[in-house]
Amino acid sequence: MKRWVAAILLCLAAGDLLANGDRMPLTIEQVKASHERELLAQPGVVSVGIGRDDQGRPAIVVGLDKPHPQTQAALPRVLDGYAVRTEIVGTIRAR
Amino acid sequence: MAQMDEVRARLRDHSPKLLGRSNVVATGVGYKVTAGKRTKELSVACSVAQKVPLESLAVRDRVPQEIDGVPTDVIQTGVIRALATRTERQRPAPGGVSIGHRDITAGTLGCLVRKNGQVMILSNNHVLANSNDAQVGDPILQPGPIDGGKLPADLIAELQQFVPISFGEPPSDCKFASGMIALFNAGCRAIGSRTRYRIYRIEAADNLVDAAIAHPLKAADVSNDILDIGRIAGLGRGELGTPLQKSGRTTGLTRDEITQVAVTVNVSYGSGREARFTDQLMAGAMSQGGDSGSAVLDGDKRLVGLLFAGSDNSTIINRIEHVFSALGLSL
Repeated sequence: MKRWVAAILLCLAAGDLLANGDRMPLTIEQVKASHERELLAQPGVVSVGIGRDDQGRPAIVVGLDKPHPQTQAALPRVLDGYAVRTEIVGTIRAR
Repeated sequence: MAQMDEVRARLRDHSPKLLGRSNVVATGVGYKVTAGKRTKELSVACSVAQKVPLESLAVRDRVPQEIDGVPTDVIQTGVIRALATRTERQRPAPGGVSIGHRDITAGTLGCLVRKNGQVMILSNNHVLANSNDAQVGDPILQPGPIDGGKLPADLIAELQQFVPISFGEPPSDCKFASGMIALFNAGCRAIGSRTRYRIYRIEAADNLVDAAIAHPLKAADVSNDILDIGRIAGLGRGELGTPLQKSGRTTGLTRDEITQVAVTVNVSYGSGREARFTDQLMAGAMSQGGDSGSAVLDGDKRLVGLLFAGSDNSTIINRIEHVFSALGLSL
């Protein structure tokens, strides 16, 4: 009986941990994946990937087809602790 | 020592006879090389396909030690071939040359791969399968049609398989749908129902690869080499900063590195068609139109990707692991 109670408590704890992401630091891949649809919905955004910032640290890189001052101003600078940087990558075409 | 005029005169008089010898492929004027060092002595230089011991040559095929006082020199250069360009017909065709489905312009022959033990040509869907608009068995030309490839002379392979590209609808606010929804919801309110209708735009599925394979009609018509790179050393995995090289129809051998991974990107396919790709690799400017289908290798010649798209300052590459698993391929 005690074992069953312990098992249930453990399951509840694990579920709680999964539900509250802030207890486990998210990877940059997870952060990128959870935000990319909204980022790609902004005017002029053609790509979202993982690159590096000026200091060489991993960063979320938002690619624009051309300069879009409004989009650039509206984009977050940081997402869940990871830097967000914009880059003019141009219109991407099949070659 | 013989002067230039004198050596030129000997060359002019004797060149036809020298070139008639079985092994000589070229003649000219050059400084004589003795014991591996270039001397200041002018000579009639005879290039041969392969140096062989004098005794094994018939007397008439031997290059004399000197011609009327002018020394000769025998240099091994190998057989001299015209340098075929990437947009010309080549048999066997290596990776890096022009190829394409009958109804397209041209792309690049990436490399050879295997499917169920059979050798296949790997390139993009939009190169070998005309962006989904093709049938298995369709003719593949080398060079591609825009480079003068014609049926039946330049037929090299038949389309074997392609991964269909899922194209999205161009974003549009449908006025008709909005009007209908407003009408439905007005009706719901009128009858006191708490149900409300919403518009959903049908979204295309995300793509991982733009890839296809073609079955060469003759094994002897294709080569395992990639122009200016050589043989593939194995499979690799692209990471941020991995050095890259590719050999393509338009820009030839170019090098760069992976600047972004896990890239989700919208790619334009012309005529308003757009497709979204996920888990792509991005590099800088290392390609132009016509380079699509190039095999992308790392610095150790391991295959890491398949080039398919780009802009003025970026190149987009499918991960080779997705290409191989989608088509069931091996090296």
